[in-house]
Amino acid sequence: MTRSPRISRRLALTALGASATLALTLPGQRSARAAEGRPKYFIGVYMPHGVSRELWLPRAGFDIAYPDSVLAPFADSATFGQSFREQILTIEGLDLSAGMAGGTVGHDGSRVLLTGSASNGRNASLDQFLALEQGLGEGMPLSSLVLGVGSPNPALGWCISYAQGGSALPKIIDPADTFQQAFAQWVVGADPAALAKAAAERKRGKSLLDYWRVELAALSARAPESERDKLEQHATALRDLERRLDGELSACTLPSAPDSATFPLVEAYQGGEPYFDTVTNLQVDLIAQALACGVTRVATLFLNDLSRTHLDPALPDDVHIDVAHRYESAGRDGQGGSPATWQALARQNRYTYSKIARLLQRLAERQLLQDTVLIALSDMGDPARHSSRQIPALVAGGWGGRLKAGRHVDLGETGTPNNRLLVSVQQAFGVASESFGQASDPAIVTGKLDLA
Amino acid sequence: MKPRALSSSLRSWLLALLVCACGSTNDDAESPPAAESLLAPALRRLSVAELEQAARSVLGAPVNLRGSLPPDALQNDFSRNIAQSVDSLTLRQLYDATRSASEALPLDDPAYPRCAALAQPSDTSCSGELIGKLATLAFRRPPSTEELARLQALFAVGASGGTFRDGATLVLRALLASPQLLYESSLGEGPPQHGVRMLGQSELASALSFMISGTPPDAELLSAAAAGRLASGSERYGQAVRLLGGPQAIPQFQRFVEEWLGLGQLPQLAKSSTVTTDFAALSRAMQSETRSFVADVLAAQHGSLVALFAGGYSFVPDELAPLYGIQPVPAGSRVVLRGMGRVGILQQGSFLSVFAHEGESAPVLRGKAVLTRVLCRTIRPPQEFGIDLMFPAPDANATTRQRFERHAIDPVCKGCHAQLDPVGFSFENFDAVGRERSTDAAQAVDTRGSVTLNGAPLELKDSVELSDAIAQSEELRSCVARQVVRFASGRKDQPAEDAFVTEMAALPLAWRSSLLGLFLSYVKSDGFAWRVGQ
Repeated sequence: MTRSPRISRRLALTALGASATLALTLPGQRSARAAEGRPKYFIGVYMPHGVSRELWLPRAGFDIAYPDSVLAPFADSATFGQSFREQILTIEGLDLSAGMAGGTVGHDGSRVLLTGSASNGRNASLDQFLALEQGLGEGMPLSSLVLGVGSPNPALGWCISYAQGGSALPKIIDPADTFQQAFAQWVVGADPAALAKAAAERKRGKSLLDYWRVELAALSARAPESERDKLEQHATALRDLERRLDGELSACTLPSAPDSATFPLVEAYQGGEPYFDTVTNLQVDLIAQALACGVTRVATLFLNDLSRTHLDPALPDDVHIDVAHRYESAGRDGQGGSPATWQALARQNRYTYSKIARLLQRLAERQLLQDTVLIALSDMGDPARHSSRQIPALVAGGWGGRLKAGRHVDLGETGTPNNRLLVSVQQAFGVASESFGQASDPAIVTGKLDLA
Repeated sequence: MKPRALSSSLRSWLLALLVCACGSTNDDAESPPAAESLLAPALRRLSVAELEQAARSVLGAPVNLRGSLPPDALQNDFSRNIAQSVDSLTLRQLYDATRSASEALPLDDPAYPRCAALAQPSDTSCSGELIGKLATLAFRRPPSTEELARLQALFAVGASGGTFRDGATLVLRALLASPQLLYESSLGEGPPQHGVRMLGQSELASALSFMISGTPPDAELLSAAAAGRLASGSERYGQAVRLLGGPQAIPQFQRFVEEWLGLGQLPQLAKSSTVTTDFAALSRAMQSETRSFVADVLAAQHGSLVALFAGGYSFVPDELAPLYGIQPVPAGSRVVLRGMGRVGILQQGSFLSVFAHEGESAPVLRGKAVLTRVLCRTIRPPQEFGIDLMFPAPDANATTRQRFERHAIDPVCKGCHAQLDPVGFSFENFDAVGRERSTDAAQAVDTRGSVTLNGAPLELKDSVELSDAIAQSEELRSCVARQVVRFASGRKDQPAEDAFVTEMAALPLAWRSSLLGLFLSYVKSDGFAWRVGQ
């Protein structure tokens, strides 16, 4: 087997030098799925609390910069370096149909966003499907990065990434942990003793992996078919660990380790809220850098809201109850509603989108945006009704040239399953299948959106 | 002082009751039970708390995994469940955490072979002895010859060019993240008989110990397994009673009650500054109250469900006394609360805070918690009926009850809310943190409600009457029996639950209305010991 030269030592020197960039030869293509003319990166983002529809809809001519527009961050070149108006597409009219058919609704609907399945579904979410089943994660030290802000809770309603078999994947919510998982092993120092120690640890790690594989195989041989997915996930975790031990990075500047003093607490309800903005920025930056360094090609980010962050004095302490639950929409007919409640929810929505704009900025700075598929979804349309209908969808990135962006798509009120967006994404990555997800009604999981 | 373990006199009483705690146990392996109500074989990844105990058992010292591993994914409200898996993040974190823990291996501890502290890396006799001991602890059974050989080879890799300790450390790392340690196996052993198989002796030992105390089996239990004694339901019963005297039994029952009733959410709650300015301190006191109370119910009330729901007393920490409207009492003192609106766990701050919003009471959440968690009823979410939720708008002139009564006018909504709301309304004298109140929106609170128990409608003056009625109801006893099966088996399996509920119905009332009785009966039952054959 031909191995690419290890570059850890030189990268380590770069990291120690804090900012200098090393120009190294990029490794060759490592995945059939990351082929020319196809996108190379997938990012899924969870957006809390639905959307203030009245201020989310672009106006004529895809105007997203009107006063109080929720989408304004994507036109804010002063803050984010450029306007991303031509790199985003908004979709109205998607329903979480599989969730509604299977009783996975309301806040639990986040389960459906990337899986296209209710809570009894056994398929992997789109990110894991692409990374593990379709090879997008091949050759990467990490097959994916699953991140969040505020809550590590892997319960229903708190996750968007699911393994094959249907189990929720835990999120990393501490940027220091994100750095540890994604970058720390390449920061080994230039000291020969440190390098020798790292090499010895790698050797020990390989021996351990060999041992665990044999043990897992012995257990698998005795286990019934019903346990196959669980044990396969374990085997996947072992492969991931091996890739981490063997991992090689692309030419990049390794980020410095986040300064934990700037976010002493990270958990919601445990005093972490005032630091969520810092944490979110770090998670966003680390995702972009992980893609740039070839740590992974797939990431998800479960965002939190502004509750108790005291970042926006115009918002009450509890955004969930006092903003999302109080929202009074005018609905599609545009009659009635409470404009004051639109404004409040729009402030929360705009904050969320500002973080996605930051992510687009970071990707653009690293010349990654054109090859990225980013989708940001919320589990609700109208949050006051906990509605699984008409969820807001934001699609961004270049999709490897397969997205016609800078426009709004209105699918109407007929209830288009979000599965169709997932099918469109998988097809952009070269997966020919016309369906994604699981539901009793095949019509829910079949079909795609024309986004090109 | 709250009890830390069940007393020997209580355990003697439990042993004396063995004769009546018969259940449908089959001690005769020649005639296995019917397959219809048995669970499927499974592998259960240990919960984080169990992993800590398992690692501690091997290492001989406490290991903090809670701080590094992702939290448990609950299934059917319990952290013990067969849906938990070893995902990439968990394995990477486990790899890092066990690496540092293994470096602290205390080879000079008397628990390890005496040769280990000074042995040379080439001393295969000593390494073999050490590996055998560590692997037995990790696997919770004697390792096979092949398994020992693989570990010996790993020892050689670790010790190569290094020390005996290096070899031992690598073996320890291998064991602490070994699939044999991470999963509790309930696959069964031997060829199926009539489509069913009994769990292996080691599997029985692990299942029993993790269920009763949340720890791997101790030496006595492993010895019973080695002697093949655990096929006997009576032996399992006796071993379980013995484990109830250990230090981990009460924490395990506290965990059961907290997860069953959703009280584990308490540390993840925030409350509005309009109801309290220091909920963090209050919630710690609430957790302490509930844990002390559950411990007392087990140790002093024989695990009585009547005491749990309607005992009429509690243990109120100082921080909670003002909320309850009482003067502080000496720590650990039992406080009689009957007559003050609080008779059991449903009127404790923990339950009332978890099932409330940040700034106001939540009759629907409280009603749903009682109906689904305490009585095991199924309430379908409104979206399944095509109904979008509509939260009542704030109205300074209307009580919470009045605002919620409006939303149940819809004939479709009423189908469920006619059950949910009257139960939740009976708690309306408690605000978002469980503080008693007499008015809401400047009007007198109305705590009248109703519930149907065992098919009979019952009008309620308040939640005290609700608790008193539930405490005596067969529905509660059946539901707790189901919850015990879910907790023990790590899944929701209707036939297995139905079978255990049927067995329990034949037992004396005092036995089936006791947490201890239900746990011990399940340990003794065929459902615990047998699985559908593969």
